[in-house]
Amino acid sequence: MSDHKQPLFSCKNLRAFIRSGDDETEIVKGADLEIMAGQKHALMGPNGSGKSTLAAALMGHPAYRVEGEIFLNGEPVHGLEPHERARLGMFLGFQYPVAVPGVSVANFLRAAMGARRGQEVPVREFRQLMTEGFERLGVRKDFAARYLNDGFSGGEKKRLEILQMLLLKPTFALLDETDSGLDIDALKIVSEGVNLASAPDNAILLVTHYQRILDYVKPDVVHVFMDGRIVRTGGPELAVELEARGYDWIAGETSAAARS
Amino acid sequence: MAELALMSSEGKPVIGKEELRRLSAELGETEAGLAWRLAALTVYRNEPLPSRVAHLWRYTDPAHLLPGEPLPAAMPPRDLPAAVLPDDGPAVLLVPGRAPELNAAARASGLTVAPLLHDDGDAELLGTASPSAAGFFASLNSAAWNAGVAVYAPAGKALAEPLRLLVPAFAETTLPRVLVVAGRGAELTVVEEHFGGRDGHRVIGTTELLVGQNAHVRHVLVERWDEGVSGFLAVRARIERDGTYLGVNASLGGDRLKLETGAELVGKGASSELIGVVLGGGAQRFDHHTFHRHVAGDTRSNIDFKVALTEKSRSSYTGLIRIEEGAPRSEAFQENRNLLLSDSARADTIPELEILTDDVSCSHGATAAPIDPEQVFYLQTRGIPRGEAVRLVVRGFVETTLAQVPESVRAGLEALVTARLATLGEGV
Ligand SMILES: Nc1ncnc2c1ncn2[C@@H]1O[C@H](COP(=O)(O)OP(=O)(O)O)[C@@H](O)[C@H]1O
Ligand SMILES: [Mg+2]
Repeated sequence: MSDHKQPLFSCKNLRAFIRSGDDETEIVKGADLEIMAGQKHALMGPNGSGKSTLAAALMGHPAYRVEGEIFLNGEPVHGLEPHERARLGMFLGFQYPVAVPGVSVANFLRAAMGARRGQEVPVREFRQLMTEGFERLGVRKDFAARYLNDGFSGGEKKRLEILQMLLLKPTFALLDETDSGLDIDALKIVSEGVNLASAPDNAILLVTHYQRILDYVKPDVVHVFMDGRIVRTGGPELAVELEARGYDWIAGETSAAARS
Repeated sequence: MAELALMSSEGKPVIGKEELRRLSAELGETEAGLAWRLAALTVYRNEPLPSRVAHLWRYTDPAHLLPGEPLPAAMPPRDLPAAVLPDDGPAVLLVPGRAPELNAAARASGLTVAPLLHDDGDAELLGTASPSAAGFFASLNSAAWNAGVAVYAPAGKALAEPLRLLVPAFAETTLPRVLVVAGRGAELTVVEEHFGGRDGHRVIGTTELLVGQNAHVRHVLVERWDEGVSGFLAVRARIERDGTYLGVNASLGGDRLKLETGAELVGKGASSELIGVVLGGGAQRFDHHTFHRHVAGDTRSNIDFKVALTEKSRSSYTGLIRIEEGAPRSEAFQENRNLLLSDSARADTIPELEILTDDVSCSHGATAAPIDPEQVFYLQTRGIPRGEAVRLVVRGFVETTLAQVPESVRAGLEALVTARLATLGEGV
């Protein structure tokens, strides 16, 4: 067994910059996270605060210059290519999954599973796993032949993200607003998927804008993210408080704290 | 014997009358056949070498496509591999200076597959879709072609299996000439495969397809020459009433290819569909011209050309839609999309519309853009390395076009595309 005190996932003083001409803009301004095995954390923050940028930077998106350190099971991953991070067990559920016309869902899923396992998935086994996943997430069978995310509704895209998480079995899953744009039925299905994936040997970071999904997925820790920083960390009650009082309340408090 | 000049003062290969007579005799052509060639020779002698000012020649120097040996060239290649002709499915081998070689399935296909200009009927039909006067290279091929075949599908004949025409570029100069005649109501798929060759080899080919009333003809042109080979290929169809034509072009190999492909819709209700998949790497140059000429009304045409380029490769695409005065209620669509996988790859695309009648429906679109980095990142986050992710995106890009190709040839094309993608250099 690994050292119990070592987080499954952590990042230290993570900063992400975008280049625009000769200038750079800092979007993520120093984020620290420590997530233990078996935990689910929620990262909540208003639109535009930099949550998606943080998620993309953690995964190694080439558009950002990133400073700071990222560890998975104690191993540094910040120098690795995105596909290497994925093979080590990191997963990003996209807020806006990208369409890849001409590449079928089935071919894509099989390629991704093969990459994660480091060897081809036999066709029969793959078919069975995919079909089970489709059923679990209420996705019609004919999606296997459809082009990846091409012409999918918002809800269909999000279900497919969760399906991928279940098939790829990441050790650390970042889910970027997987709950937004879902009707209540879809939200329940997606939440069930998240709960199903959660296990003692993995960790999940739910990035969200609303408290809604937290009625179904119980986080162990809640972080409030504003203007590129984690401004507060607490237990599940923090999410409830945010829901009742909004983000402005924290914004007021933190700027007051900064002044004093 | 006096030294013969190989090139005229303006750089045109010289074609001698006596040499043509000898070629025609060696190939066993009829009197009418020889007369046909000599008429084409007269046209050739009056055709100037294409000028770079002419817009269809803006992107290619014709000198790069000309043979380096005296014409007519009729020597069969010395190093022709023995087992070129497959034995599964009907296939025909075309080699300079020889009669077409048929496998058993081709002989049993129920089609008439014969040496060209052995039957006086050929001389009447040859040039119907691609007249000798269609241009310099058309006239050159008409006079001096050295590897010809005539394919007749009798009325009502339907052949499910594709007929393969194999055209290796093993000889220094290959001038293939293909005539396909589909009788009323016939159905036929012809796959013309250009492959092989070595540095300096040239191919100048013309393929004509005469699609009879209510006939359904598909022609697949695969160009996967080896490095060092360049050429000019023309594929021209003529479609009668209610006939349908599908022309698929996969341009993958060689150094330079200039391809002219298109159809004349001469009967009411005729329709034509052209599909193109072009994959370029290294310093390859592709120059494609498509044309659809609507002569009769109630006709329909569509073009979907996809080009993906990496390294320093280049593509130019010009597409002409012409709707004649007597062709009301015609529909014509054209799209050319280019995916640029490196900063030094370049694509030009120029649509042209000549519409001489009202009451038509036309549209054209063209795009040239780099690959979407978000697509690549998405795939990378699923464990797929960058190079493989790019190849997957490119496969998808052309797959949306190949999906329209009938089953009987699609798998083969997809395999060729995958094989070519695997050999494209970094950047992919
Ligand atoms: N690649 C980029 N180019 C330009 N601006 C960006 C880029 N990525 C993020 N931003 C900017 O960074 C800020 C944070 O965006 P984002 O991370 O999407 O926030 P959130 O996910 O919290 O809504 C926004 O102002 C956004 O416009
Ligand atoms: Mg976001």
